Amino acid sequence: MQLQINGQTRDVPDDATDPSMPLLWVLRDVLQLTGTKFGCGIAACGACTVRVDGQAVRSCVTPLSSVQGRSIQTIEGLAGDKEPHPLQAAWVAHQVPQCGYCQSGMLMAAAALLDTTPEPTDAQIDAAITNLCRCGTYPRVRAAIKTAAAQLRPTRPPRGPLRVKTA
Amino acid sequence: MKRRTFVLSGAALGGALLVGWGAMPPRDRVGRRGPLTSTDNEVRLNGWIRIAADGRVLLAMNRSEMGQGVHTALPMLVAEQLDIGLDRIQLEQAGPEALYGNVAMFLGALPFHPDDREPGHETRGVRAGRWFVAKLARELGINVTGGSSSIADAWEVLPLAAATARAELLGAAALQWRLPVDELRIVNGVIEHESGVRGHFGEFARQAAALTVSARNIHVKPREAWQVIGRQPLRTDVPAKVNGTAVFGMDVKPEGLLYAVVRHCPMLGGSAARVDVDATLRRPGVERVVRLGRTAGATSGVAVVARSTWHALQAARSMDVVWRAPPHDPSVGLLDTQRIDASLEQAAREAQDNAGGVPFHRRGDVDAAEAAAARRHEAVYHAPYLAHATMEPMNCTAQVRDGRVTVWAPTQAPTFAREVAARVAGVDVDAVDLHITLLGGGFGRRLDVDYVAQAVRIAMETGGRPVQLVWPREEDFTHDFYRPAGVAVMRAALDARGRPQALRMTVAGDAITPRWIARNRPAWATRFDAPDKTAAEGFFDLPYAVPHQRIAQQATRSGVPIGYWRAVGHSHHAFFTECFIDELAHEAGQDPVAFRLSLLDQHPRFATVLKLAADKAQWGRPLAPGRARGVALHESFGSIVAEVMEVSLDNGRPRVHRVVCAIDCGTVVHPGIVAQQMEGGVIFGLSAALYGRVDIRNGEVVQKNFHQAPMLSLAETPVIETHIVPSTLPPGGVGEPATPPAAPALVNALFALTGERVRRLPLLPPPA
Repeated sequence: MQLQINGQTRDVPDDATDPSMPLLWVLRDVLQLTGTKFGCGIAACGACTVRVDGQAVRSCVTPLSSVQGRSIQTIEGLAGDKEPHPLQAAWVAHQVPQCGYCQSGMLMAAAALLDTTPEPTDAQIDAAITNLCRCGTYPRVRAAIKTAAAQLRPTRPPRGPLRVKTA
Repeated sequence: MKRRTFVLSGAALGGALLVGWGAMPPRDRVGRRGPLTSTDNEVRLNGWIRIAADGRVLLAMNRSEMGQGVHTALPMLVAEQLDIGLDRIQLEQAGPEALYGNVAMFLGALPFHPDDREPGHETRGVRAGRWFVAKLARELGINVTGGSSSIADAWEVLPLAAATARAELLGAAALQWRLPVDELRIVNGVIEHESGVRGHFGEFARQAAALTVSARNIHVKPREAWQVIGRQPLRTDVPAKVNGTAVFGMDVKPEGLLYAVVRHCPMLGGSAARVDVDATLRRPGVERVVRLGRTAGATSGVAVVARSTWHALQAARSMDVVWRAPPHDPSVGLLDTQRIDASLEQAAREAQDNAGGVPFHRRGDVDAAEAAAARRHEAVYHAPYLAHATMEPMNCTAQVRDGRVTVWAPTQAPTFAREVAARVAGVDVDAVDLHITLLGGGFGRRLDVDYVAQAVRIAMETGGRPVQLVWPREEDFTHDFYRPAGVAVMRAALDARGRPQALRMTVAGDAITPRWIARNRPAWATRFDAPDKTAAEGFFDLPYAVPHQRIAQQATRSGVPIGYWRAVGHSHHAFFTECFIDELAHEAGQDPVAFRLSLLDQHPRFATVLKLAADKAQWGRPLAPGRARGVALHESFGSIVAEVMEVSLDNGRPRVHRVVCAIDCGTVVHPGIVAQQMEGGVIFGLSAALYGRVDIRNGEVVQKNFHQAPMLSLAETPVIETHIVPSTLPPGGVGEPATPPAAPALVNALFALTGERVRRLPLLPPPA
């Protein structure tokens, strides 16, 4: 079987998987793409969030059979060729992560949000980012999404280094 | 020899040994140079610092990064002394030597009252106790990351180690260049002289290692000259955490890796009576079935080893097992939290009425004060068991081969991780190689090493292949070492104006430390438990001036596996005491802030923190209709935190809009990380106050995954601001102190809003 992941075609040996195997474990254990995390196994925490055809999905309950021929993006593919995604830059500028374990999923959910909603309101961020974080990075997640959205806005001057006061 | 003579001479010998040990100088913490070169290109200057050939500084990192920023803050202490950029300091995991043990955490375990340890005015008993325990802790050298102690522990030793290295490097440069050492300076890791000669550390490291610089020529940079401490450099761990390359426990992938998933007996302490091994082995991808015992406090279970985590998960889930209940008294039944809660209340009341329990604080004459009082006010508070629920479930990777054990673990307790690995594998502790990964959350759960023991046990069955054990989330929730439940009975005697004259308070609950020691250092287990400060902290050590007090802890044995949870005893004791103080303010007809301040004349640090939070929150200014403020003030882990919360009710559900935190944590190394920890600590505390509960029925934990155990979401998160009191005192902790005041500030705000006093957590019912 072949999968389209981060713009590349990846071979998935048939003997290592079965069609019901969740994408999470194909990514982590078969393809060694460990940036996508296991948190709960029931789509409740969002640590495993990846994008499939642009949409945020929880890969721990997404069977391999449902993503064949579709475009999968993981945290490893979020950045551009040369520079980080504006969300990643905003995450650094706001010093969002603490332990960091949930952050891949947060970033992928945020990336999907900004694609459909370039200028999200607080309510839209609340509705889209349902990922759990035990360290409590939520206030900075919200702030970083807004900063990235502002950077992505076409009317703004070209991106420069972000400077944000974090404390 | 008569027995009495024998005992006496034994005591005399013991005393003489103790005096002799006491007279010896404390164990050096900077560490020796050891082998001159550790590798061909690196030179060890002391136990903490090596210099690479290209001038980089290699720092022995003895603490685990679990989000608290220690991989940034500790190098800052070194960067300050060596005048080198953080990007030129590379972290290396510290070895197992006693040098890297934690001293500050043991100092934090001393049950001293704030009246006796006001900074600069400590009593002789406090000084002596700290001296003794510091010396003992240096000898023991137990390496754990916990108790918000990392900065406090490193505060003297790392600057001294770096300043020593600096003196040696400068001395070597001065010799080589034949220049006076005081004419040299260091600019971003390069030694320079105005004549134009310059060179990086790597060029002088060998000569530096051969030099002996006398102590009077080692100068730790004074506060006035600081250029790093107190600033906010970007955290060094963040880039890898936003691009997916950060390596947590589950991201370790040694060659030939197998995957294992555990299923424990659902009844805590139970075991597997019968397992259908053959059927499980026939499932796709399955390689082994391994039965697991009770090592390191775990409940017994069965592990399935397979070629992927998914195959192991599927097989473990469908595995046919007949479980055996743990030994129990049939007249009482299996563990049940409702029954435990009732028995805790009974134990607290009995101890309160009979002057029982261990009195952690006694002053004045409570009996007389109660007899003379105009009236009394009494309240009973309840707190539930709580789960850690780190985002990264418990996991560990292990390989047993050729008489050696290799362990890759996200652990807060490397000393115990190595010891348990050696115990399980039957090898010497020196045959264990431990690699500590990043921790996807710790909060105290990873101070236990049950999952390390299991991984090693499984790896003994895989023919030398490495195996990665992962706990499904359901196992994580149902087999935690829980924050113990507690019940407090509190009574105040008030004078005619409503001012408290006496406090008689008793809290009942299980003591964590004796259980933790018994499962991690079995050799130290004792038949009778010594009083555990963590079972009383934040309860007996109130700063408020009440002349007569008896504050006691009644230790119970409920049988539930318990462990350290962020802020430990403070996590529920602050809820008890800061809500009760709020009740007393109400009884006195006083404003909650003014009332507290009136009892804080002897403790200006507390008063300053409280005033700062109140000012920044505009305490007293009118709010929009339907909103109210509440306040809480609490000291833990060497830092004082006040929180003011602004709340409303939304369809009967509490909604927190704004939290203003003030903290006095002594000298601040990185104010940005302090702010992060305040935000995280508040959110952790709010999750617990609103939702946190672990119910046990018929010996089995009810809450099995996040759908049954909600946590605060982004949508529910308030605006949180942090204000730091400037201080030149040594640093306190910041990882935990924001959590304890969260629940009482919220509950006090709800009282201000509704006039109803909540004395039991959590505030919200479990999900349907």
